[in-house]
Amino acid sequence: MSERLARFGLPLAVVGLLALVVAVGPNLGLRIAGSDPAPAGRLIEVLDRLPADPAVLVGFDPDLGTYPELRPTVRTLVADLLDRGAGLSFVSMTPEGRALAVAEMARLDRLGAPRGSVTDLGFIPGAEAALVSLAGAISGQRPAAGPPGLDELDGTDLAVVVGGNDLGPRSWVEQVAPRAAGLQIVAVTPTVLLPEVEPYRASGQLAALLTTPGQGAAFRERTPAGSFPALAERAGPSPAAIAAGLLVAAVWLASALLAGGPARRLLRPTARR
Amino acid sequence: MNGLATDASATAIAALATVAVLGGLLGERRVFGWTQHLFAGLLTGYLVLIAVREVVVPWLVTPLIADPAGRPELWIGLAMVAITALSPWLPRALAAVPVSIMVGSLAAFGLGGALVGTLLPQAAATVVAGGEPFGVTLAAVVSAAITVLVLVGFLHGVPRGRASLVATSAGRWLMVAGIGGWLGYLLYARLVLLIDRIAFLVGDVAGIGR
Repeated sequence: MSERLARFGLPLAVVGLLALVVAVGPNLGLRIAGSDPAPAGRLIEVLDRLPADPAVLVGFDPDLGTYPELRPTVRTLVADLLDRGAGLSFVSMTPEGRALAVAEMARLDRLGAPRGSVTDLGFIPGAEAALVSLAGAISGQRPAAGPPGLDELDGTDLAVVVGGNDLGPRSWVEQVAPRAAGLQIVAVTPTVLLPEVEPYRASGQLAALLTTPGQGAAFRERTPAGSFPALAERAGPSPAAIAAGLLVAAVWLASALLAGGPARRLLRPTARR
Repeated sequence: MNGLATDASATAIAALATVAVLGGLLGERRVFGWTQHLFAGLLTGYLVLIAVREVVVPWLVTPLIADPAGRPELWIGLAMVAITALSPWLPRALAAVPVSIMVGSLAAFGLGGALVGTLLPQAAATVVAGGEPFGVTLAAVVSAAITVLVLVGFLHGVPRGRASLVATSAGRWLMVAGIGGWLGYLLYARLVLLIDRIAFLVGDVAGIGR
């Protein structure tokens, strides 16, 4: 196989294959929602225990690279919370998270979220120190400065942390939980954070956690459409496309490990010189 | 411009940028390079906007204007902002003050939180106090063994003796397996991102399958 084909042809073939699978949309009997339904059940239990019209603080700090993995689940969770009459306060501690939060709040406004149900607390600077000040506001300490709404966090019933960036569920557990007694924290994170956040679920420091597309899909399947079906995003990434991509990656990796394979030359370009 | 036109133009720009980035995957370098410069410029502008609109004005300027005499700590903060902005022209010892305070406070909060929020609760959650099912005890023993082996593999530069060599080697393989698992998760996340972008082009832009 020529070097040009190995370098350009294979990526083109992979993109073409994925585009074909996405366009044709074959299910192939694959269903990612069934892989691990228990975490979705735990999250639904936490949501069911909330009081009527709960006050929910949404720590929105995903990153652009992994947000597509979370987006359908996050949107469905937000729609479900609004259906339960929740007041949502969005806050971000990272600039990237703030950009995505602004986009999501604009979408909520555009698609008809109830007026007054979404509060924008904006971007709070200071990383861990910001979380400490946020914990103080939740505990009833009046903040000295900051955006309007920050002094109304006393009595927050639930914190939903959308992770992916530096200040994710781990930072919330370390900085907010010890200072805001009784606050329940649930999280939605990308798969890549699974090893970091799973111990917090196991120890109960996170009341619930969705951390893979399968767990997210299980939550979406078990969550009723409610009053705001347009706000939820039911369809996740195509299971067939994921399976096809993983198969290609496995073959690619295997060929990279075998001498003379085209992927080996692609992955080790200096070896050609 | 109405909302619909704004949406359409945003979709068109997003589609063009996506095609340019995917072009980089397929070997196209010039447009891909322009796209990177565009993203870097947008990011810089965005960060300046965030710093001014969401940090300096609401947290510093507005409270100072409202109560200039009652908030002395904000004057110190304003001085730190000025020192940071002028740091290339100031003595190194002076320019280091705001950065030192920032790093010190982050380390203090980080270490304190790691101790109170992670180390102690996680240690308490994993301690085997007796009376647990056999599987729990076995899992704890295996976890402890893996932790010890990885630490030995990580810290033992030059193993001496056969037992030390075997432990170090096993620890390093376990560490590589862990890194491999993490890379697998990363691959999965990037694959979902790629599929999401392709689905955007195929479904939202081209309208196929919708």
